[in-house]
Amino acid sequence: MGQSLHHIWTWLAMPRHGLALAVFIIGALGIGALFLGILCSVPARFRKGIVMAVTFIGGLYLSLEFLVPYKNVHTGKYPLTEVMPTVANLEIVIGCFALLLGIWNLFQIHGKTLMKFGKDWYNSAIFFLTFFSIAILGFLRDKGVHGTPEMFSILFSGFLLSLQSTTFSLIAFYIVSAAYRAFRIRSAEAGFMMVAATIIMLALVPVGALLTAWLPETGFLSAFRLERIGYWILTSPNMAAQRAIAFGVAVGALATGLRIWLSLERGSFFDRQL
Amino acid sequence: MGESTVYANIAVYVVEGLLVFFIVYKIISARRGRQLFIRRIPGLSALDEAVGRATEMGRPMLFTPGLSGLSIIGLQAMAIMSHIVKRAAKYGTRVIVPTADPLLYTVAEEVAKDAYNAEGVPEQFNPEDIRYLSDNQFAWASGVVGTLHREKVATAFYFGYYAAESLILTENGQMVGAIQIAGTPTTTQIPFFLASCDYTIIGDEYYAASAYLSREPTLLGSLVGQDYGKLTMIALIIVGAIAVTLGALYPDWTVVHWMQSHFLKYFQRGVG
Repeated sequence: MGQSLHHIWTWLAMPRHGLALAVFIIGALGIGALFLGILCSVPARFRKGIVMAVTFIGGLYLSLEFLVPYKNVHTGKYPLTEVMPTVANLEIVIGCFALLLGIWNLFQIHGKTLMKFGKDWYNSAIFFLTFFSIAILGFLRDKGVHGTPEMFSILFSGFLLSLQSTTFSLIAFYIVSAAYRAFRIRSAEAGFMMVAATIIMLALVPVGALLTAWLPETGFLSAFRLERIGYWILTSPNMAAQRAIAFGVAVGALATGLRIWLSLERGSFFDRQL
Repeated sequence: MGESTVYANIAVYVVEGLLVFFIVYKIISARRGRQLFIRRIPGLSALDEAVGRATEMGRPMLFTPGLSGLSIIGLQAMAIMSHIVKRAAKYGTRVIVPTADPLLYTVAEEVAKDAYNAEGVPEQFNPEDIRYLSDNQFAWASGVVGTLHREKVATAFYFGYYAAESLILTENGQMVGAIQIAGTPTTTQIPFFLASCDYTIIGDEYYAASAYLSREPTLLGSLVGQDYGKLTMIALIIVGAIAVTLGALYPDWTVVHWMQSHFLKYFQRGVG
């Protein structure tokens, strides 16, 4: 039984080209549409149950894969783990369909603005121009059309990556304004933060080390050198606080995951009449 | 495959088992009508005030789930968004939701639609306010910044997973004079939000938000169960610290050997 399933799966998953690929894509779309049709025709009171069952089965697989790793004694492999790439592929396929919806949303918003020549219509025009140029050049480059790799590279490395780097570099300026606001001493906590930040900043630059260079490098007094105090702040109180937050986040994520898995989440998703 | 994959060890079974037990037990007790107390979280209490401010100013609000995908972080952001959209629908205030993940975009659209329906104003739902911008981090951030400035938002909510773009968003929010509330489990971005937002929800407060806002017994029970889970973890840390300290001071003690072979061993990554 297991072997037959394995053969069927291998046959289904093997790479295809040309007509066979087209048939498989159309077949997959047809099966997907059939499932969607069946789901839509199911009475509303049963839909919630179907969503809950699918959520539970998905969560159960991931839990079992991690918590109860069954090892096949004959092959020495973990069958549940072996299926993991397929599960990841399923998520990618669903994500691709969702991406189409996302692109449709962009087309709707910018198309409407462009048609009406509404406010800032030129931004929408730039969106369409860049979207189609990079998409068409990408396809042509993959087809090996002469000169397109260079043009694609200009758009991708010359424009997109440069724009990304520019946006990223803005952080340097924003850090200054945010730091100015944060370091205004309005309370005891803000004052405490100001002192700690000053020590850390001084400890990380040579001039900071120079300020307390007169203290001995060993012995009790060496603990008061700025670079040592800075290191201690980073690795002891700061690390403890970060780990405490990380523990809280992990427990919170577990609780939320458990509620969603068991369909206990209320108020947002599972109370809805599907 | 399999060789490089990490599986659960006995420590995971015990700790996770205890956490799940506490959470489920507290959910059941809360559902049976037991009154549970949760402390005040200023950032979450300020949500309604922030919605009110946008209403008074007659300007829209912005809610972003950050770079979150369809994950626990993203779904929690959607739960908070549902509450905010419901409040906004009550006062007729617009909420713009720029997303960076196509999967979460589809969920956000449905959650917003449901929220308007729940408040009895389905006609207020504008599909163009739930926007998919880009899955590219800085392209998305630029889009959000543009929205902040063009729409002159009065209130900005940042709930979800954030990376380096967090400060770019919040500093631009400051420029347009928006009241800003942020919540993220991403520890590296918390300092930036603290420095530039009016209210910041940190760490596990992020996961407490839906319980705090809805006061639904199931969620409150789960929240109290989480606290018991944290107490368990604190106890384990104390025992672990004692075991390691004794191991360093008295390595020959039998109790130290026993603790190392029966306790500490299972709390090392990839061992057991």
